[in-house]
Amino acid sequence: MYTQRTIVFSTNCRKAKNARSKRFLTNRDPKVFENPKTSIFVRGSTTSQVILDTLKDLYSLSKPNAINFTKKNQIHPFDDETGIEFFARKNDSSLFAVGMHSKKRPHNLILGRTFNHQVLDMVEMGVERCTTIKEINSRVCAAGTKPLMVFNGEAFAQNEQMIRLKNILLDFFRGESADKVSLKGLECVITVTAGPTGINGEPGLIFLRTYTTSLKKSGVRQPRIELEEMGPALDLRIRRVRYPTDEMWKQATKVPKELHQPKVKNVSRDGLGDKYGRVHLGKQGIDKIQTSKVKALRKRLDNKPSKKQRTDGAES
Amino acid sequence: MDVSGILAEHESRSKAIQVDRLIPVEHDLGVLASFDINMLDETKLRAGQKVRDNYLKEVSREGAQILINELFSLPTTTDDDSVYASLPKTTTVLPREKPIPKEKPMTRWEKFAKIKGIQNRKKSRMVFDENQGEWRPRYGYKGVNNDDQKPWLVEVPANADPDKDQFQARREEKKERINKNQRRQQRNLEEGAMSEKRKHPQQMRKRELQKALVLSKSSTASMGKFDEKLEGEPKIKGLKRKFDPLVAAAGKEKSKNMDILSRVAKGDTSATVLNVRKAQRAINNSKRTKK
Repeated sequence: MYTQRTIVFSTNCRKAKNARSKRFLTNRDPKVFENPKTSIFVRGSTTSQVILDTLKDLYSLSKPNAINFTKKNQIHPFDDETGIEFFARKNDSSLFAVGMHSKKRPHNLILGRTFNHQVLDMVEMGVERCTTIKEINSRVCAAGTKPLMVFNGEAFAQNEQMIRLKNILLDFFRGESADKVSLKGLECVITVTAGPTGINGEPGLIFLRTYTTSLKKSGVRQPRIELEEMGPALDLRIRRVRYPTDEMWKQATKVPKELHQPKVKNVSRDGLGDKYGRVHLGKQGIDKIQTSKVKALRKRLDNKPSKKQRTDGAES
Repeated sequence: MDVSGILAEHESRSKAIQVDRLIPVEHDLGVLASFDINMLDETKLRAGQKVRDNYLKEVSREGAQILINELFSLPTTTDDDSVYASLPKTTTVLPREKPIPKEKPMTRWEKFAKIKGIQNRKKSRMVFDENQGEWRPRYGYKGVNNDDQKPWLVEVPANADPDKDQFQARREEKKERINKNQRRQQRNLEEGAMSEKRKHPQQMRKRELQKALVLSKSSTASMGKFDEKLEGEPKIKGLKRKFDPLVAAAGKEKSKNMDILSRVAKGDTSATVLNVRKAQRAINNSKRTKK
């Protein structure tokens, strides 16, 4: 099926000659807390207006962590991955979108990810309709806002291809990973809906819609949300999916020990909120108890009770 | 006390934000995502563009409303007139872009500091210079530590040679310090590389020296027989210069000369002249440098 590749860890053959280049290289080094993923938008050897519009709009959604290539390239990710891997390595990006057009695969869009500068997984889709931001011509949300993502349809939980697409889309539009989010800045909503499958069992359309939000006052703390279409609006149909190899996926999803939350052991709480813990004493060394040289245990020749006892008895 | 009225009022107020879903919607607030597996109206999705888009907008609004409800229920922190919600940890498994960084081996100083319990104290970049009355960097350009590099006067120490150039001496000292630092950095790198291969770092030096010794001996005509012996130098076995006897056995001399002639006649410089051992070593070395 696909070539089984062993993981090659890239060595840093490039050496920094001054502090500036050193900073540049250390920024691109593997880190515990990673940089936000950059995406590249590449054109194939032949393109159509539809696919160019799609790429342009996806690029504007992904700004500022996005690079748009304007020249055409002989690139076929599913046949030869080295082309896209080269671009990803040079631009230090791990997300890519390739757009091309041919008679066999019209308006072809490939979204994919790399791990360690090697293609991890990709999804090839046909863009059946694209309504651009310009066409819709309404309010646009600021670049760099984290979008809310909504996935509708049970196919996204059942169909393997859709599950893979969902994962890739989440990664694509994730932006910077944050542990806090400003409640005022929730401007953008991207919804992906799985359409019904065709009569012959062919994959259904996937509707990707983008909206800007306006939060209205409701009587309660949570506001009422109203949406206004911003664009792009894409109707996609999955063609091919390249899944990651098991070992590569395993490597990619490893969590460094710095991010592991240490398991708190031996602590429990009861219904009243009291904290309990078990004290383990260990086995008592019975053979090591001092039995000789202990006055109280000494057997007396005259079987008289010990001095202490006698005085107690005298007192009472 | 009749609470039903208050409850009814609250319910009517929260109608605006209420969304009914058969199957409860799963969400991953760490990535601001919600996953709704409820049934969708297929007829509307198969219908014309306008109907479909309106339906999608409706469904999207409800989905976003559920998310907003969840987000506004999170614990918040206020900062500079904006309210931040603290997001929980993500539950979706998203892959990293690069592998987890390898643990760097500890340098000599780091090992020593660990044993002694020396803590690294961060020093500030700027230091207040009393002489000039302003803040200057601790090191580097216009730094406080470079003050004595361009002195207008240098005292000749009592025990020094009076003809020696003290200014030159200062410059040389600084260069020596820099070189020492670079040598130490290089040594740390080499020792780190050795400890990664699970070999003892000090042993690397020893092995390298022994290799160099053998090479130097074999590269002399007398195979190092008459070289000055170092202290503690191990005896190297098998390093002998072979001489063929002047008068060889009957057939041997002929076969040897015929061999040479045939090789020269062939013009074969590659195949038979290949030293397999050397070639293997060359391949191994190139493999090692590639890694």
